[in-house]
Amino acid sequence: MNTFKMTHIAGAIFVALSSLSINAKADNVSLDEAILSVPGLMPSATLEMTDIPGLWFKDPVDGDALVVIKPGQAVQIKMSEETRSQHTITSLLWPVGARDFPVDQEKPSDASITKGLNTPGLYVFTCKVHPYMFGAVIVDDPESKGLDIGSELELVTGVKVPADSDIAKKLLRTFFVVTTPSLWRDYREPEWKVNLPDIPLNIKGQTISLSALSMTMPNKLLTPKTPGVGEVWVNTQFEMIQGKKKPGTATRIDVATWKLVNKVKGIKEEMNHPHNMWPDNTYRHIYQTQWFDKRLLTFERASGKVTSNIEVGESPSHVLTRPEDDLLYVAINGGEQVVKMTGGATPSAIKSINTGPHTSPHGHFITDDGKYLVTPNALASSVSVIDLNSEVNTEIPTGGVIPIAVWGTPDGQRAYAANLLGTPPQLLSSLTVIDIPGKKKLSDINLAADYDPVSGAISGEAYGLLPIQTPVSPDGKYVLTANTLSASVTIVDTAAHKVIKSLACEPGCHGIHFGMKKGGGYYAYVGSKFANDLIIIDMDKLEVAGRVLLADSHDASIVAHNGMGGQGILPLPLVEHGHLKETLKLAGKKQLSADVEGWLQQLTKEQKGL
Amino acid sequence: MLKKIRITICIIAALLPVWVQAETDSTHLITLKATKLDSGQLAYQMVSHKIRDASGSETDITGRYAKEPSIPGPAIVMTEGDKAEVTLEHGIKDSDKPVSIHVHGVHYKIDSDGTMKMLNQVADEAAFPGKPYTYKWTAALGTAGTWPYHDHTFGNPMLGAEDKGLYGTLIVNPKSGQVPALIDGEIKQVDLKDIKRDFIVWMHETTFWGMEVNNIVNRQVPLWTNPTLGAREGELVRFHVIGLGTAFHTFHLHGHRWIQPGTSHILDTFNVGPIQRESFVIKAGEGVGPGEWHYHCHVLQHMQSGMMGAFRVVAAK
Repeated sequence: MNTFKMTHIAGAIFVALSSLSINAKADNVSLDEAILSVPGLMPSATLEMTDIPGLWFKDPVDGDALVVIKPGQAVQIKMSEETRSQHTITSLLWPVGARDFPVDQEKPSDASITKGLNTPGLYVFTCKVHPYMFGAVIVDDPESKGLDIGSELELVTGVKVPADSDIAKKLLRTFFVVTTPSLWRDYREPEWKVNLPDIPLNIKGQTISLSALSMTMPNKLLTPKTPGVGEVWVNTQFEMIQGKKKPGTATRIDVATWKLVNKVKGIKEEMNHPHNMWPDNTYRHIYQTQWFDKRLLTFERASGKVTSNIEVGESPSHVLTRPEDDLLYVAINGGEQVVKMTGGATPSAIKSINTGPHTSPHGHFITDDGKYLVTPNALASSVSVIDLNSEVNTEIPTGGVIPIAVWGTPDGQRAYAANLLGTPPQLLSSLTVIDIPGKKKLSDINLAADYDPVSGAISGEAYGLLPIQTPVSPDGKYVLTANTLSASVTIVDTAAHKVIKSLACEPGCHGIHFGMKKGGGYYAYVGSKFANDLIIIDMDKLEVAGRVLLADSHDASIVAHNGMGGQGILPLPLVEHGHLKETLKLAGKKQLSADVEGWLQQLTKEQKGL
Repeated sequence: MLKKIRITICIIAALLPVWVQAETDSTHLITLKATKLDSGQLAYQMVSHKIRDASGSETDITGRYAKEPSIPGPAIVMTEGDKAEVTLEHGIKDSDKPVSIHVHGVHYKIDSDGTMKMLNQVADEAAFPGKPYTYKWTAALGTAGTWPYHDHTFGNPMLGAEDKGLYGTLIVNPKSGQVPALIDGEIKQVDLKDIKRDFIVWMHETTFWGMEVNNIVNRQVPLWTNPTLGAREGELVRFHVIGLGTAFHTFHLHGHRWIQPGTSHILDTFNVGPIQRESFVIKAGEGVGPGEWHYHCHVLQHMQSGMMGAFRVVAAK
């Protein structure tokens, strides 16, 4: 890769110099007088934004997500026809002192920018709506030894960290894992090997090989001893299927047997990045948002047959129903609204509820009593509480950066919003606690209180970096948060408001939700973007009880990323008592399928919320 | 001194063909090449441009163009009544995919459509490695205006690779030699020969991609992204604004007004959708004087992404 990149640099310089010949000739008096225009920047490298898993910022020259340029050259970052959604072009980190940084926009759009970069070092770009889209530019001074990473890096939150700090190295390794599908954790292999190439890096003046960040871990699947009740659907969002250009499937696991049942692929519909799911009260239909797209897909749970695939808005992220009337509320992550829709086989929009200017709501929550809807507003550092009866929205500024998911307590009093990039200036990683009926922020919980970002020392349980989904356990005692950078699940005690435990997760730890354990109690199911297992956490023990495979090696139609991309998790029956109550009302009335009737019969009184 | 005189003569000589063009119907013999830039983007490059007049004598004007490929591609300037034979060479390294030129505005037979057989039902009208393709255009009466040309086959026969940089500008000047303009507060016909500079700006995503056709020294200067466009106060300059891609833009230039072509409406902003184009003539700094006059897209997110530049009007000599 290195040699190739160097050739690329030489070529870029040649082009830049040859175009300068025009200016050189301008020394000639007449031309100099005639040409008064001054050319703008000519890109020496390009990153094209796409829907391709891993290659969300793609270098068209060699097809990876990293370009190397020299100081004074320019990089172009642009949308391409290979993405069906709008994005922001946002700098996530850059070398301290880089001029005119960060790069950002208020809203997603079909943008392109050309940026001249002078300060050597590492520049990472992302999209604030889809914040695991990563692309990097290394501005490499040819005089220095090794590729320049820099001395000190600034994060978009304002935090400055030494380039040799633990967090900087974590981000660097994560960048390579995220953008290189061959480095994703495949549980069909005995080991997870992150073998990085021997490329000399210049970090704080020291030459270190990139291969020093390589690592190997054993892959061990584990079937839980106690079965669950029902089934779990996982959005295996990166799985590539024959006959379909866009990635993503929904994978069903029977938790009574822990066997993979089937995958819904949406081939005809070009289902694109299915991100999150929710059922109607009968569990006949499953609604599914297509996050790098504009559409909501509906399929029959039993058969997998798609019954509807309609446009609802830019980058729909999550979908929920209101228990009492079974209407849908779809968060429009690329916009500033939640769309209210009729349910059933063919949902249809009723109205759009505004969440506030430039809010970009992502993973929302509806209280068990159906009174409130709470949205984390990824681009507005706020949380909106919408009274679903009056449809009046109250936007609460939280100071969190990219609040991405929220969930609430069963009594509808508190909500916990995960701030992907923490609450600056103090908190690198945080949950914001919201008083839902009071419509105000109460406090922040530090998810990484026991982590030293410089040395990497972990002195206690609070170790969660880049938090995403954050559901509250059905008994209201715990908040479980999937942390994508630290690859950990943090468990917050809602009484103490602190992390009491961290469990090991997977690279790209992302989706998490609760399901019923047979005989009483609950499991938490966790899906990870860059691994193909589903983690099962026993909520009675707060321990990992199992790891089951989401890949299907016998399915020849899966052409790449088998079982990868775990994001939305939908365990059935739902554990939310407000929703479950409506389904229980239908039991024994020939309105539910036999399997659903069977699941409901297995539930304990406590699980039923009686 | 001698050097200066020589240059002056050169300039006059270079201007001559423009006069000739206006008088007779010429044939343009053009060879373009589609290439890949080191940035991974694609671009057209001028290989050769000769003009054959009615008597059969040829003038080589290749020297007017930049030597390297550029985005936007070379600006081809014709006059109503002219014909062109445009040969495209495939120079995209590591690729054997067909690449083409599909032109807007001028007349051509179906075999010069620049599309694949699956669309035109006639032929694959594209260049392959070692197999150039020639398109024949007629700038018939009524085709005067600024038109885009772009690839229609590379990578995707429905879309082509205009999105990756394979696009350029065709300017067809009216046979009358005059265009209407708002000058000193009045709508007048101005002579094309008095237009000192043509500024071409393509609005793609949230970036302006520019090119100057300088009529004082007959040189084309690629201006790349969000450039500074320079002119002297009082000069007549013509802007050509073209949209590309999926976004809709509003082009705005500070301190200047112009007329909407074909009307007497006075504008300082207009809408530009994909492949929509507009051109207008202004007198640089008219009524406002020298300055760094901002030009930009007026869509807020586009401005936030840096879709802007300066129109630098310097004091007259």
